[in-house]
Amino acid sequence: MIAESPTVSDRLAQARHELTAREVAVALALAGALGFALLVMQEPLAHDALHNFRHSAGITCH
Amino acid sequence: MIRSYVERGLLAGSAGGLAFGLFVALVGNPLVGYVEELGHAAGEGQHSGAAASEAAHHAGEGLLPGAVTSAVSVGGGVFWGLLLGAVFFGVVYYFLEPAIPGEGATKRYVLAGAGFVTVSGAPWLVLPPQPAGVEATLPTETRILWYGGMLLAGAAVCLLAGLVYRRLSLRGARRPVATVAALAPLALLAIPVVAAPAAGATGEVPAEMALAYRGFVVFGQATLWFVLASVHVWLGVPTGRLAGEAGHGIERAADSAE
Repeated sequence: MIAESPTVSDRLAQARHELTAREVAVALALAGALGFALLVMQEPLAHDALHNFRHSAGITCH
Repeated sequence: MIRSYVERGLLAGSAGGLAFGLFVALVGNPLVGYVEELGHAAGEGQHSGAAASEAAHHAGEGLLPGAVTSAVSVGGGVFWGLLLGAVFFGVVYYFLEPAIPGEGATKRYVLAGAGFVTVSGAPWLVLPPQPAGVEATLPTETRILWYGGMLLAGAAVCLLAGLVYRRLSLRGARRPVATVAALAPLALLAIPVVAAPAAGATGEVPAEMALAYRGFVVFGQATLWFVLASVHVWLGVPTGRLAGEAGHGIERAADSAE
């Protein structure tokens, strides 16, 4: 049931209805892993390879 | 319905990512390399402590040929756009669409502005972008903590700004008044900035170059957000919303058919 003008809590309720816990977990894990690799990973090989990207994007945890 | 939102966020993200990847390939890679050379050349002349720590910092360098580093950095740029698109124009836009000020295209540009402040603007207030070849004086862990903290602070301030705008417009304030008042919470970012340790840097990159470099970084991120929002606008309104009940039913059927 969608109201004429939905609210944020409508959206929350609807997402809870449509998504399974596993889907949410997978999405969070994917986004988290990607964010971690791009932003803060200090492992020398990854750090070195992403060096130009991090400087170009102004990511300073590096 | 959230699936179609995330899908569209990913589409906008791939467009933004390709644009930013291109930016890294054409400008980022050569510029970072050049500035780094500048820093190294000056550092070697001095044999200062800074140069030594810089050498230690880049101990990993040379593990990979330049072509690989450049390619991975371009890929990083593409994934960066994809991540921002999926998170902000997929998930965040789905949940906050009813609350974001404006209508249609304006909503997306407001979200892009908030995303820029959250991901880049607020952290840069404490840790401004440093050119390659200079060494930050703060230890890495401290910088990561401040980066994460300022990211959260940026998000909180943007949410607060949205809330202020909503309250005022519900009370009948005119749009310019509500807009100006909504910008006021951004000033709250001054509190953590004052509390933060000074992020100094040691290195031999000329001041003009450092300034130009900052301009390049800010321009790159601002452009990325602009492309994300514009492509998202271009993609149109999700079917489930325009068609209302009927469209929603169709979408349900499509979702369950997947």
